[in-house]
Amino acid sequence: MDVHTLAAGLAMGLGGIGPGIGLGILASKAMEAIGRNPDASGTLFVPYILGLALTEAIGIYSLVVALIIIFAT
Amino acid sequence: MVHVEIAAERLFQLGPLIFTNSMLGALLASLLLLVAARFFAPGPALVPTRAQGIVELPIEWLAGIVRVTGGKRWREFVALVVVIFLFVLVANWLSLLPGIGTVGFYEEVGGKRVLVPFVRAAAADLNMTLGLAIVSFVSFIAFGIRANGLRGYLRETLVAEPAYMTPLLTPIHVISELSRLVSLSMRLFGNVFAGEVLLATMLSLTTAAIFTLPLAFFVPGIFLGLELLFGLVQALVFALLSMTYITLAIAEDRQHEPADNHHTGETPAPTTADPAHGAA
Repeated sequence: MDVHTLAAGLAMGLGGIGPGIGLGILASKAMEAIGRNPDASGTLFVPYILGLALTEAIGIYSLVVALIIIFAT
Repeated sequence: MVHVEIAAERLFQLGPLIFTNSMLGALLASLLLLVAARFFAPGPALVPTRAQGIVELPIEWLAGIVRVTGGKRWREFVALVVVIFLFVLVANWLSLLPGIGTVGFYEEVGGKRVLVPFVRAAAADLNMTLGLAIVSFVSFIAFGIRANGLRGYLRETLVAEPAYMTPLLTPIHVISELSRLVSLSMRLFGNVFAGEVLLATMLSLTTAAIFTLPLAFFVPGIFLGLELLFGLVQALVFALLSMTYITLAIAEDRQHEPADNHHTGETPAPTTADPAHGAA
């Protein structure tokens, strides 16, 4: 066990908190909107996917950092 | 422990051009698309056959989304968006086929014998995703210049709304435009690469216990299904983000947005039904 493993675990674990909360808020709001107006699910689809992608990108950054720490150092 | 190489491995070298196994994956994907286009593009029947229907289904679905959300000038960039979607989708799903990433030759690297696969997932190489992101970046700038003129585009990009805020806001704006390039490429690369590592790790974890629990037959299968879904979602995300950037660049200078909304709003019934149906 060297310090790289710990660093990668910390990078992914701490970096996953924010996107996790964000994705939860996003999905709950989308479900709420569909519940209020089920006809809008078609128009919600594209903004929902885009928001999902932009939020998830933060988590992907920490994943890339963690992978680089493990495999490229 | 699985062996993971973050850069694509070299297959052979032609002069200064290094041919990697990831390039082979990208070439295979585009070859598949070219063959499909050769078969289905020349004579589309009015009443489609079953195969033609299958090929046209994703194209029509995505073109429907672009028509609803792409604004008034959606016809100019719908081909680019659909092609980005199809290429990323085919490249991602191709990398999940058996034999790709596992069949290769052994090479001595740093005193260790490692397997160099012949074909690697195209998007598991930052060069390819960055290249695709550059295509998207250049095209949304080109569409913005064509819609607003060079002067209009530069004024829109470099001059902030209250003129005295320009020194503060212009660097932020330029950085945010450039960060689109980074986030587009990093997102696709990170997802596909992490998917490959995830599959390899799950397989190596479960094959260790194959004599007590036959998990190796089920667990990687579940993650393979998950990777199918992720491949579709990432292709969709890349295409839709490119579309959004192009739409923003085109509509940046327009003052009368309500007229545009009215235009897209007049045919809601067939268009909104399509994405909802396809998403389910």
